Amino acid sequence: MPSNNVQTIRDHLLNMLQQPEDMVFKENHSKEKYMEALYIKSICDEAILHDNILKPFFEITGPEEFLNFLQSNPKVSEYEDEQKALEELLRGVAILFYQDFVFLFDCKMDRNNAVMDTTVETTIQGPQAGFSESLPVNLGLIRQRYPSTALMVESSTVGNLSKTRVMILHDTRFTDPDTLKRIKKFLANVDIDMFQSGEQLFDSLRKSNKALFPLMLVTERPDRVAVNLSMGKVILLIHGSSFAVILPTVMKDLMASMEDIYQAYWITKFLKVLRYTAFNVSLILPGLYVAVTSYNPEIFRIQLALSIAGSRTAIPYPSYIEVVLMLFMVELLTEASIRLPKAVGPTATTVGGLILGQAAAEAGLVSNIMIVIVSFVAISNFVVPINAFSFTIRVLKYFVLLISSLFGLVGVVLGFFLVLAYMVKLDSFGEPFLTLVQSKPGENSNK
Amino acid sequence: MNRYFLYLVLLNMIVNVIIFVPKILIEYRYNGAVMGVLIAIPIGIALNYFYSTAINRFPEQGLPEISANSKHRWLKIIHFGSIQLIWFSAGLITLVGFIDILVRFINPEMPKLALLVIYLAAIFLIIQLPTQRVVYFMEIVLFFNTPLIAFIIFKAFANDYLSWDSMLEVGTHIFERPSIKSIAAATYCFSGYSNLIIFNRVINGKLKVLNFIAIFIFGVFNLFTTFFIPIGFHGSDGANEYLYPWISTADSLRLVYSPIERVIFLFLMFYMSITLISVSVHWHVAYELIKGTFKEKVSKKQNLLILSIFSGASIAGVIFLNTLLLNKVTVYWMIVRLGFEIVLVAIFFIWARRRSV
Repeated sequence: MPSNNVQTIRDHLLNMLQQPEDMVFKENHSKEKYMEALYIKSICDEAILHDNILKPFFEITGPEEFLNFLQSNPKVSEYEDEQKALEELLRGVAILFYQDFVFLFDCKMDRNNAVMDTTVETTIQGPQAGFSESLPVNLGLIRQRYPSTALMVESSTVGNLSKTRVMILHDTRFTDPDTLKRIKKFLANVDIDMFQSGEQLFDSLRKSNKALFPLMLVTERPDRVAVNLSMGKVILLIHGSSFAVILPTVMKDLMASMEDIYQAYWITKFLKVLRYTAFNVSLILPGLYVAVTSYNPEIFRIQLALSIAGSRTAIPYPSYIEVVLMLFMVELLTEASIRLPKAVGPTATTVGGLILGQAAAEAGLVSNIMIVIVSFVAISNFVVPINAFSFTIRVLKYFVLLISSLFGLVGVVLGFFLVLAYMVKLDSFGEPFLTLVQSKPGENSNK
Repeated sequence: MNRYFLYLVLLNMIVNVIIFVPKILIEYRYNGAVMGVLIAIPIGIALNYFYSTAINRFPEQGLPEISANSKHRWLKIIHFGSIQLIWFSAGLITLVGFIDILVRFINPEMPKLALLVIYLAAIFLIIQLPTQRVVYFMEIVLFFNTPLIAFIIFKAFANDYLSWDSMLEVGTHIFERPSIKSIAAATYCFSGYSNLIIFNRVINGKLKVLNFIAIFIFGVFNLFTTFFIPIGFHGSDGANEYLYPWISTADSLRLVYSPIERVIFLFLMFYMSITLISVSVHWHVAYELIKGTFKEKVSKKQNLLILSIFSGASIAGVIFLNTLLLNKVTVYWMIVRLGFEIVLVAIFFIWARRRSV
């Protein structure tokens, strides 16, 4: 029979739980033994519980032998305190009351453990599978790709209410201990109520809680995680999210696609140049158009200047309004095609992009060259492989546009360098944002 | 070879076009500028060598850190104050000169103060960065711009209309008595080393002889280009007619197959960023020295005060200095600067030696 102490614990736990519908409190009797089990059936795998506890309970006759069995089972752990037991219970652990002992039996149900295909960071070749939404499965995926004894796995919780489990992975050989310390300190200080996905950390990274640049990389690809582990990065896996967070992140990582290592050397180089060019084009072009048409048309050779001016003859307002109008339309199109159901999506782009653009030019609202430039900017924007960063550029180009509308050609150049100076100012866990070389352990003396 | 050191020197060499060096040299082309340039090269290299080796004894330390526990506080304030003044005025002349150029060549209808606003915004963002980051930014700017300037110089040298005879004609005046003004102007190209006062913070390791050889080669090439290319384009007499000889020279170049036909726009776009980083480097030195003068850490209010003094001075500069006046002031400023620099290097060299012995 359970002693007094165990009884009080049991009563207390039952009291705290407020009897939800899916809670199960079961008493099991056999000839010699008596055991109680408490669990929440919606998050527990009852089959595991049955196979591992109930079956042996009736098969093993001696009470002492069953106690030995429980204590030697790797899934069973000892009761420590009430708070912890409650937390574990709410995560799918069954609490067993047997004789003078209270045990926690791990029979969590792993629901979202299907490995999903990559949809955000797609590549033509290379691995196609992404993460699942289950933490143990994700950890397994990484371990399969990174079989190393130096792989260190620690876990902690983030979120005031959600108490989401977060795993911190790093390779002890390559990771800079200072960076790791900063990351742990940061995680301990995160103030979020409901922590569901790594993207939520974007804002917490900045002191002001308002970020424009993604200072961490959120990825759905296990191969990217494995490669980054070998480069000394720290990985966060978040329970219930099929995205891993890679820290620290610099611009080089944001401009890298996994395809870079699945392609031949010169092709990779070419693609990289292409991406950086696209970044600059997308940032500068709208501003440059305003500066060139409204401030310094003489900058281009005469034929080009005339054809730009000729295309604008019918336009009844200054160039900056034209640019803002068209950019606004493209932004709406982009947003709409994300939100729309997949079946309607292509229609929206066709109607908006082709028909509206053509009609706007014919109606004399915008010039033909403007249409070319706006589509150029929009396409360049999507060349950037990491989605979060391409959103940043989407916002940044308005800043450059504003300054160029006010100051002309000077505004274009200085706007660009202002953005650059801001990026130089940024750092991700002590790593300068624009750095090309990841810092290695023991290299930190010059910081 | 330490690349950050090279960048600092290179930056001054590139930016001399804005700060009237070619104008001063060309003005004295018959009266000792050639000899002045030749004399300036050894002076510049020597100053470079003595100062950098002296400050190299204190790896990764700027002047505020080196003299942090100095007991002569007033001496320190005077010392720092005079350096600040020279450095701040260097940045100011560059800034005012370039804004004048912008209004003249790019935005004739824009008020100068509007251009000043955008420049000050960018400069203040940069000078408040840590020294390490200023150097990063400088590296990026030079990375973007160096290919462009190399291309322009190549185009200038390869141009059919470059008259080597005019250059030779000026070269025959080599034995004229050198004028102090041209020496002072020419040494400006070498004086980038003096930013080490603060930027020594990012330099670790010894500076090798290769550095000084590189500076010598770059310096000679740079002075030759600055001085002789405008003469080659506009003739030995004609070159003196221009207020900004190099910008007019850039306007004489034409890129036949490029969408931007007139090189002047490429040239000015390139100098927009070079000026930005050059002024920022000079003012960063001044700003850090002011911060180093205070005993405690600078509060937000004091910081704001420093920045408003900076902007007040530049607003006054833009309003009161027209091009000709600025040109005249710069000539005398150059001489003061040269004298000051020699004194500074001598004092520091002796002091550093005595201290380390």
